Amino acid sequence: MLETFQLPFVQRGLIEILILSVPAGLLGTWIVMRGLAFFSHAVGTAAFPGLVLADGLGFAAPLGAFAAALLFAMGVSALRGRRSGQDTAVALVLAGCLAAGVILASDVFGSGSNIETLLFGSLLLVDAGDIGLAAGAAVATLVAGALLGRHWLRAGFDSGLAGPAWPDPRVFDAVLIGLVAFATVAALTVVGALLVTALFLVPAVTARLLTDRLRSWQLLSVGLVALEGVVGLWLSVETDAPPGATIACVAGAGFVVVAAGQAIARLPRPAVLATAALGALALLGVGCGASGGSDSGKLDVVATTTQIGDFAREVGGNAIEVDQILQPNTDPHDYEPRPSDVSGAAGASLVFASGDNLDSWVGQVVSDSGSDAEVVDLGAIVPERLPGESSGAEASRFDPHWWHDPRNAEAAVKKIESSLAAADPAHKALFERNADAYLGKLRALDAGIAKCIDSVPSKQRKLVTDHDAFGYFANRYGIEIVGAVIPSQTTQAQASAKDLSELAKTVEREHVKAIFPESSLSPKVAEAIARQTGASSDHTLYGDSLGPQGSDGATYLSMEEANADAMVRGFTDGRRGCRPSP
Amino acid sequence: MRRAIAEMALLGVAGGAIGCWVVLYRLSYATESLAHSILPGLVLAALAGVPLLLGGAPAIVIAGLAIIVVARVPGISREVAVGAVVTTMFGLGALLALSPKSPPGIQELLFGDILGPSNGDLLAAALLVAAVTTALPLMHGRLLAVGFDRNAARSLGASPAVAEAVLITLLAVAIVVAVQGLGNLLVVAVFVGPAAAARNLTERIVPMIGLSIVIALAAGLAGLYLSYYAGTAGGASVTLAIVAAYLLSLPAGHLTARFRDTAPMPATIE
Amino acid sequence: MQAEPLIEASGLAVGYGGEAAISGVSFALRPGETMALLGPNGGGKTTLLRALLGELSPLAGTLRVGARCATVPQTERSQLDYPVSALDVAAMGALSRLPWWRRPGRRDREIAADSLRQVGLDGLADETFGKLSGGQRQRVLIARSLVQDARILLLDEPFSGLDRPSSERLEALIGSLAGEGRGVVVATHDLEQAQRWDSVLCLNRDQIAVGPPQRALDVDVLEATYGGAIVELPGSGRRAVLPPHHHNHPH
Repeated sequence: MLETFQLPFVQRGLIEILILSVPAGLLGTWIVMRGLAFFSHAVGTAAFPGLVLADGLGFAAPLGAFAAALLFAMGVSALRGRRSGQDTAVALVLAGCLAAGVILASDVFGSGSNIETLLFGSLLLVDAGDIGLAAGAAVATLVAGALLGRHWLRAGFDSGLAGPAWPDPRVFDAVLIGLVAFATVAALTVVGALLVTALFLVPAVTARLLTDRLRSWQLLSVGLVALEGVVGLWLSVETDAPPGATIACVAGAGFVVVAAGQAIARLPRPAVLATAALGALALLGVGCGASGGSDSGKLDVVATTTQIGDFAREVGGNAIEVDQILQPNTDPHDYEPRPSDVSGAAGASLVFASGDNLDSWVGQVVSDSGSDAEVVDLGAIVPERLPGESSGAEASRFDPHWWHDPRNAEAAVKKIESSLAAADPAHKALFERNADAYLGKLRALDAGIAKCIDSVPSKQRKLVTDHDAFGYFANRYGIEIVGAVIPSQTTQAQASAKDLSELAKTVEREHVKAIFPESSLSPKVAEAIARQTGASSDHTLYGDSLGPQGSDGATYLSMEEANADAMVRGFTDGRRGCRPSP
Repeated sequence: MRRAIAEMALLGVAGGAIGCWVVLYRLSYATESLAHSILPGLVLAALAGVPLLLGGAPAIVIAGLAIIVVARVPGISREVAVGAVVTTMFGLGALLALSPKSPPGIQELLFGDILGPSNGDLLAAALLVAAVTTALPLMHGRLLAVGFDRNAARSLGASPAVAEAVLITLLAVAIVVAVQGLGNLLVVAVFVGPAAAARNLTERIVPMIGLSIVIALAAGLAGLYLSYYAGTAGGASVTLAIVAAYLLSLPAGHLTARFRDTAPMPATIE
Repeated sequence: MQAEPLIEASGLAVGYGGEAAISGVSFALRPGETMALLGPNGGGKTTLLRALLGELSPLAGTLRVGARCATVPQTERSQLDYPVSALDVAAMGALSRLPWWRRPGRRDREIAADSLRQVGLDGLADETFGKLSGGQRQRVLIARSLVQDARILLLDEPFSGLDRPSSERLEALIGSLAGEGRGVVVATHDLEQAQRWDSVLCLNRDQIAVGPPQRALDVDVLEATYGGAIVELPGSGRRAVLPPHHHNHPH
């Protein structure tokens, strides 16, 4: 359980949360007292498009967030007093902000995967700037609270009453609102734009259950933010979920625990003691069960994609421990590294990457883990290369889907073998034996697929898939690529209605018999086109990733066989299939 | 594209009609909160493979009960209670949806998939429109009376509890159906925007409902075409079109003010 | 010799957005005087109180307020939940005497404790404000106005919801505060109680009458103030106001 807290990025997150507990806890009580709950949530949401702009144009995120929040505040006050109501206007403005952010992120800047991180937070992105901002918010809150707290209290209790040499009392409230906006922006990296209230509202509500005096309420509130923040942070690393979501759940659970505790405390004594004992046992169980980690003495290796993981396991056998980052049916183009990936890399000696911008996040993962593992770029050494896309977020010199050509797979396997042998010379002979056996299977696979595809007349070999993942396969076996739902080598380019409509026309024109959805993407759009054009969409391909265990695409060999079989069936209306056996 | 247009048209009719009552009863904040708090129910239903409504319904009940409980804490207002409950439930939903163990496609619950509706989606939307177009005209008089003066309504023979219950139920079902197309985060736009825009342009309730439906259809289809020509994300484009329609209605309302009937309708209902 | 009036108003008109909500208000409040402010809801009582506090400027006429004014408003729902003790509330009064950056010191808290004693709330200083009874809360707010060192007290319907013993206690307290040389204005609905104050001012958008209650409170004045017929209840000699109704049916 404690190893988690030794990772550098977790420690940064810890410091950030602990510093943030001061403004979040203190301002939380004011937010409750002065009715600013919706405002704090709205500021966070409104900052989202600003964050996207900052990320895309390359300036500091807090600036973008501030600017957006300011525009939001101005827009809301401009729409004040509309006949359709204030909250209507605010709800619409917020939806508009979210929509604008989404379009900026996925269509203008092409960084679709960032949306989740910006909306729900990420521990991996916390840097020194964030910590500095949080410290600034903490200091500002303490100073303003000391000077103006009694005025905020007074104004919330009843209005009126001015004193000598006072500024317009509305100035005091403006400071409070500005402070809430500032502190909210400081917290955006950790909890995300949509869940600031997990820090700024829920703990203060829970603390209110325990006291009805301001001082103790404030102290308890800060303490709860710190406690729930740290627990939520730990949970985020353990479950690989975004910290905003985990902290929100912990905060909610905190309220339930305290409220239930109070209700139980009112019961007769034996019941209270019994419940307390049960609770303690439960906590012990959870704490003990959560400790994990193995220490087997084998060579620790990280593989980014499922295919590479398969190759590594085939060559390394029992002598190595493979930590595979991507899971079956996960879209690699979309992938945001999780904390568990970083902790997995911490102990590794070798990292095998696919290259060509498919897994460009691997460099950050390795550096965040503090390990000095060597990163082996397999894509760089394969013999067959097709041109990649020249623009877009994942522009690269070469098409990244090299593994679909078994000749490339052979080269990758040889490279894996030599790298493993260099890192663990004691098992060199084992690695050689395994590699040779596997290379034989690869060659047999290649021959078998070629024979099967050749049995289909070349005019009928027309391929339409979810995205352009099969360039190498088509090139090797003489298949014509007619088009793709997402006309790009990356899934991040979202399908527009126009593209789909043109694809449907092309499908009809070229008499394509089958559209092939991919296992790691949602099949809805492919199915929609199939329905519209009368083509079939029954045969799924494995494009970016292997299938899960137990499926027919669980290993590289079975994946390519299954793909070939599916394609031939699709090309020939199900009349022919192919299960080439080596 | 044809199916997307059909789905959008159906959602536009339902959203435009119910939206009028949402705006009049000042339920915009409640709509947004409702949509966010049912996320965990939707995710669980999607993971279990059952219709989303089966997940959404218990989630609403749980959220409602939780809000009542939290609001009873001394010193905690109703707005704060709603905020706390929504935060927790939405966080839970996000945790379930974004955990690596969830299958791909759950994320679509957040932003919707207006461009590729399934047969089930279209059927649900059609049923929703059927329900809305029968229930709302039937309840029209009662809804208007209760909205105008809740206390007096009872003496007029309109039970406030029944009217509000029907409205909230219809709204909740509509939200669950619309979530499939527009996503949990943006669904509020179709319920609030067209009605608010219509409110700026007319003082009478029946023209408001009609105008709201027309605006919803126009903005929805405009959003789809924006997505078509500019290649932008579907649900977000529809939302921006709706917000644009609302912003346009502000000056437009001023201009047409002189040509309208002067007998006013209540601006909003407390 | 008569002391200088604490408040002097002549032909005063006050309103919102340029439109007068009340007009023709003329009266004087001397030290030691208690004045009842009578009128229907919406007739402008609160507007007049706000004008006396300086929150609204006169649209016509003159208003001279010669001493510090403190208001004792109705307790609102939200205040019952505030995390403050009775002493905290009373100490709030010190804020208005200090520059905004200064916090109330020990001396100020002692003054607050003293004023709580003066209003008879000895020993309840540490109670949460919301847990006190209605009458006790009113007295805390009065203590606050004492801490403010105000010579003019404006009370907005302080007796609503109080039981008989609490009402009597409050009346006695007001009387003694006035006896110390303060001026007190009490907005109230209680016609019978109004008889016991030094003067009454009847306000229904326009000032209807002002003066000692025996002289000012006749039937015509009351009808004009409350807009309805005044009837005498049979058997008790007490008067009551009939709410206004429209004559579109035969009596």
